Amino acid sequence: MRRRLAALLSDCKKRPTALFALLALGPLAGTAAPASSGASGMVGVSGRETVRAMTLANGMKVIVWPVKNIPNVALYNWVRAGSRNEAPGITGLAHFFEHMMFNGTTRRQPGEFDRLMESRGGSNNAYTSDDVTVYQDWFPRDALDLVFDLESDRVANLAFAPKVIESERGVVYSERRLRVEDNSQGLLAEQVQAAAFVAHPYHFPTIGWPSDIQSWRVEDLQRFFRTHYAPNNLTLVLAGDVVPDQVFALARKYFEPIPRQEPPEPVRTREPEQLGERLVVVRRKAQTPLLQYAYKAPAASDPRGPAVNLLLSILVDGDASRLHRVLVEQQKVAIEVSGHWQEGFDPGLLWLYLTLPEGSDPTDVQEILDAELANLVSRGVTDAELRRAKNLITAGFWKRIATIDGKAHLLGEYEVFHGDWLKMFDAPMQFESVRREEVQAAAREILDRRRRTVGVLMPTNEPEGAGAP
Amino acid sequence: MIARFLLKLAAMTSMVTPVTGTALAQSDASVHIPPHERVVLSNGVTLIIVPQRDVPLIACNALLRGGELGDLAGKPGVASLVAGLLEKGAGERDAFQFADAVEGVGGSFGASAGPESITIRGQFLARDQKLMIELLGAALLQPRFDEAELEKLRKRQIELIKAAKDSDPSELIGTYGRAFLFRDHPYGRPVIGNESTLATIGRQEVLDYYRTQFGADRLTLIFAGDVDAPALKAAVTKLFGGWHKAAGSAPALVAPARLRQRRVLLIDSPGSVQTYFWIGNVGVDKRYPARAALDLVNTLYGGRFTSILNTELRINSGLSYGARSGFTRGSVAGEFAIRSFAQTENTGKAIDLALQTLTRLRTDGVTGEMLDSARAYLLGQFPMEFETAADWVAALGELELYRLPADYINGYASALRHVTAKDSRTVIEQAFPTADSLAIVLIGDAARIREQVKDYGPVTEAALTRPAFDTASGP
Repeated sequence: MRRRLAALLSDCKKRPTALFALLALGPLAGTAAPASSGASGMVGVSGRETVRAMTLANGMKVIVWPVKNIPNVALYNWVRAGSRNEAPGITGLAHFFEHMMFNGTTRRQPGEFDRLMESRGGSNNAYTSDDVTVYQDWFPRDALDLVFDLESDRVANLAFAPKVIESERGVVYSERRLRVEDNSQGLLAEQVQAAAFVAHPYHFPTIGWPSDIQSWRVEDLQRFFRTHYAPNNLTLVLAGDVVPDQVFALARKYFEPIPRQEPPEPVRTREPEQLGERLVVVRRKAQTPLLQYAYKAPAASDPRGPAVNLLLSILVDGDASRLHRVLVEQQKVAIEVSGHWQEGFDPGLLWLYLTLPEGSDPTDVQEILDAELANLVSRGVTDAELRRAKNLITAGFWKRIATIDGKAHLLGEYEVFHGDWLKMFDAPMQFESVRREEVQAAAREILDRRRRTVGVLMPTNEPEGAGAP
Repeated sequence: MIARFLLKLAAMTSMVTPVTGTALAQSDASVHIPPHERVVLSNGVTLIIVPQRDVPLIACNALLRGGELGDLAGKPGVASLVAGLLEKGAGERDAFQFADAVEGVGGSFGASAGPESITIRGQFLARDQKLMIELLGAALLQPRFDEAELEKLRKRQIELIKAAKDSDPSELIGTYGRAFLFRDHPYGRPVIGNESTLATIGRQEVLDYYRTQFGADRLTLIFAGDVDAPALKAAVTKLFGGWHKAAGSAPALVAPARLRQRRVLLIDSPGSVQTYFWIGNVGVDKRYPARAALDLVNTLYGGRFTSILNTELRINSGLSYGARSGFTRGSVAGEFAIRSFAQTENTGKAIDLALQTLTRLRTDGVTGEMLDSARAYLLGQFPMEFETAADWVAALGELELYRLPADYINGYASALRHVTAKDSRTVIEQAFPTADSLAIVLIGDAARIREQVKDYGPVTEAALTRPAFDTASGP
């Protein structure tokens, strides 16, 4: 659902608002024709009447959006478990588990999942965030039965081969080196997030701390599987060239026999109120300094959500956005500005990421940035800014919904994080109805210095671990 | 979030290949270019309109032949700056007003340079068709090339390269790789420029590029979506019908020579905990006749998760998060390249494995069963490349730029179905390099990998912070 770091991957630098970030750059296609209405010209989302949903006897929910423009299907299997469900010693386990879901069952050898799927025209991927683990398949409609067989098999019969655990451990460590240890942005963000949360498990990096990566045991995996991979903790979403009744029949055949389990223990810890600004400084061999702000922000389901997304869009979305205009174009103190709201089950963070020119002093930049943010809080936003942000977010929504992948992804996001897939169809209206005062109120509450963590990456000439005074 | 594997690596092939299980409905995977109109104005402007009524959006591509080819040798980056400046003030709008006009209506508009073209990609609501044409006209016909905007853009571009070196060296490895493989051939030039050349590019060079490389004879305009075709045609004719031709001659390209031995470039990044590597040689061009067989073999070798390469470097050994291969094909032969990375101490081990897979591909080839699996995979994925109007303007732009026939798309599924085992042996022979003739580029901690890589060939070393991608002093 969300990139943890907008700057990490090059394709999402310009669209930092999490909800409508990334994915298909295509415009709308298919049946989801917007009805032209309202000031933005495209508010109503059609298709609502074609989506069907049912819940299996074991509590697993299945949502289907039939679309016939290409003979393919996108499938998303949402598991309500992420690094938020971890504890010291097993950090990174949810993500490691995601990798292990491809590595064999009591019925199938390691590797067979991918071999079978690819040989029938399907591809797949998966991702893990602080909150969820999501499995994705994209395949021709004829492979539907096989995909149900494969997906249910790994939920019912996952097996752990010791040799595979070891090689996959190496793979995950390599991923950590790529995203964190050899990456200024990733390294700093990991430290900032850990400092921002002192009690809540959002403190843990999703990739896991190195010592935990080295020491996960098979028993840890088995326990995680028993706890979280119950059908009643999963939501399956399909979009594409399928007939809902056939999908439901397959779901009954393959998933319904898997017994329901006790729901996992809820995450009880709530992050205590932050009482003052925190500062994290990372010294690393690098050329460019970085500055990151992480403000405490509401959970995904918060009614202020649309206002928060609009606020972020006004700040960083596009060359006409406030912070880009002032920091990059006018004052030239940053070379890149992006942002991201980590929308999860629990209150998370609203991030601002700045890349600074070589040799600049982050303290100077902070002063300019703080003045801009204070200005927005005190004076609010203009009608034109709000109009632009609404149009950008709505257009981003339509571009995502133009593909079967985007449809399945969005339905799942709304079902899992907002409690009902139906709310997706009201999303453009939700944004459209936000008023200037609501954006300003969100700014006032969130952009509070006392509730932020500031991260600074200071370049040194020495490799890590050496020479920092 | 962190994904299971990097789509970025997966996306390295230029034209993605895609396909049915043998028993599957064969008609499914066929993709056909939708009905469209293609007009060439008297001054040479090509206009293509693909009406798609279902949604109120328009996607457009404005394609100018030339790109980095139009740059003066030794000073790469001019085309990229020209592209970046098109929207930084044009016609009656300054840079902010231009951005505000686009974003204010929820549109998108951005230009970038490639090795052989500059492309403007835009998307607007259908009701903003008039604004879209107006902005296209201003950017192409009346760019201001404001001195202050140029200064800002090139400084920013320099800093962005430095930032990429700090946060994602693997993103730049292809740029190092092409410079090291192609040397003086235009495909070796970094399209984004480098820190030294960008610093020396002045307004005159930008104006010269625009004067010599922009003009009616270089321009193709493609629109898809909910267009008002008659109004669009009239507006385009009115705006661009009187445009002059480019003052300079169209750049010509000769085919690059294949590398006949091995050479190694070691980019030193002290303190790096992983080595990022790129292994390549000259491959084949866009018009390579056995493209379907090529895509099938590359899918099996390094184009999907269960590929030979990913199986060795990730699945079996756990050495790397991922390994991929792909062909970049242009008007002339571009590169075949393998990309992966491994922990610093395993650098040699990972490269050895990669080289062994290349040798094995040549000696063992691929089995009929493997070919069938790759065929099903490509046929199954193919339709997803053509789902939206933006997909279609990009695909048709590719046909125009490389002067490819419609059959390049319409006949692809059928071509995939007819590939034989013999075809696969032919493409392995023709297009894939042998393990003894390769350019090998590594970014990592030189002090800790120098020993491991010294036997792969003569080694050239440079610092990651060196403000250039080429190594003129190399062997």
